[in-house]
Amino acid sequence: MPITDDQIFSIRDIIDSQLETREKRRIGRVSDIEAIWQEDGTLVLSSLVIGPQALAGRIASPIRSIVRFVLRDRFDHRIPLDDVEDFGPTLRLRGSAADYPVGQSDAWIANHILRWIPGSGH
Amino acid sequence: MKKWLSITLGIVTATGGFLDAGTIATSGESGARFGLGLIWACLIATVAIILLVEMMGRFSAISKKTYAEAIRENFGFKFYLLPLLSEVIAESILLAAEIGGIAIALSLMTGISWRILFPPAAFLVFAMAWRAPFDWIENAPALLGLVTLSFIVGIIALGGPSHQLLSTLWKPEVKQGELADYLYLVAATLGATISPYLLYFYSSGAREEHWTSNSLLLNRVTAIVGMSFGSLGSIALIFLGAMVLQPLNMQGSSLGELGLSMAKALGPFGALLFAVALFATCLGAALEVVLGVSYNIAQGFGWEWGEDKKPVEAARFNLVLIIFLLVAVAIGLMGIDPLQLALAGSTVIALFLPISLFPFLVLMNDPQYLRDKTNGRFSNIAIICILLIAFVVAFVSIPLEILSGGG
Repeated sequence: MPITDDQIFSIRDIIDSQLETREKRRIGRVSDIEAIWQEDGTLVLSSLVIGPQALAGRIASPIRSIVRFVLRDRFDHRIPLDDVEDFGPTLRLRGSAADYPVGQSDAWIANHILRWIPGSGH
Repeated sequence: MKKWLSITLGIVTATGGFLDAGTIATSGESGARFGLGLIWACLIATVAIILLVEMMGRFSAISKKTYAEAIRENFGFKFYLLPLLSEVIAESILLAAEIGGIAIALSLMTGISWRILFPPAAFLVFAMAWRAPFDWIENAPALLGLVTLSFIVGIIALGGPSHQLLSTLWKPEVKQGELADYLYLVAATLGATISPYLLYFYSSGAREEHWTSNSLLLNRVTAIVGMSFGSLGSIALIFLGAMVLQPLNMQGSSLGELGLSMAKALGPFGALLFAVALFATCLGAALEVVLGVSYNIAQGFGWEWGEDKKPVEAARFNLVLIIFLLVAVAIGLMGIDPLQLALAGSTVIALFLPISLFPFLVLMNDPQYLRDKTNGRFSNIAIICILLIAFVVAFVSIPLEILSGGG
């Protein structure tokens, strides 16, 4: 989305922010961000990263390598910045929970674990 | 009318939320061993929890954020891990103690060993946390918990405290070699009352019930009256311990022993009242602990949460809840007496208090969250002093207690 001059965000405003889908489901928080160098030398924010490896990296870089060795990138997911419809204390996404791998984890747990427990509402 | 109803309900809830296995254990043992010499600790802890609960409600009503959400957003992930880890460690011990407390209460009523009743007690907590709506969880155990006020009747039935006993209020009798135990109990009293789980639970409750800036009166009355009522129950238990157990040279070192004081005062009916009070307070507290920790984790990681949703609608939140309960059951099945677990858990909480509550003080002074409702200087200074006392006492007493091999 286009950002006007009076909407200047610092990285702190985005990192750790709540991610909410179109249907107002809370699916996680921004663990890290990725940026790319443009040809004209500017650095442009490209995607939000969500996952345990990115979080481990927030604690200390060596921990990230260890977690990466164990998890092998399986649980870290990227959401392109273009998917963010609304910036603010909560980042509202264009898609619904099913559109994002990180949004599918609730459904996975519900379908594979909680459904076996009576009264889960499955 | 509806407003006053919810205020009354709030008071009842707060009364129930104040007392738990930790406060019952510390109060009973304090009275049995040091007469009224630890009531001062109970009083300053009450001031602290009144201030903190009022702040927590104000924070969530104005900012529309829970405590865990605000820590993660304001201080970042790395910092958030500190209060999270300290919370998980201390509260898993405490949850085991609360479930043990329910089991002991059931054992007092039925005569069956509490170890056998431990798994059914854990199941009861699970069943309520799994499906009961939020207002049930808040109000059902709390209403039953009003039975604790019968402790006061017990004191009257015993004829009130003697003059000699009253003098221990300001002149605690600490015999040689008992200083470590005394300090340990001071720390445990502070940790048992100023429990962070209550704050995570309360701030989430404020959001579950959609509090706004109109709820501030409700919040203030709930904090002051409810916590004072709760404190009354715990002070009454100190009196009972001092009046009944101390003359008999009993240490008050198990929850069943503490029930004796009510039996002495009111006969078998007194023993039953004690068992019901223990059951209700421990059930209420167990629910608040397990939900407090699950709320904390789900909000910190940004997952869907809420007691009024079906479990599958907030799957990760409910999965955390199950895992945390299983951890507590594993701790409980090691067979340690619940009263000793409650004391240990409360002391560990006291040690971690600066970590769990320092970020809170910072947030309470941030106008971005609270607009013009930030903290005054008095509350800031009062809370910092009490947290430091709790930390120093816990820091000193834990090694002493381990060296002396007691508990």
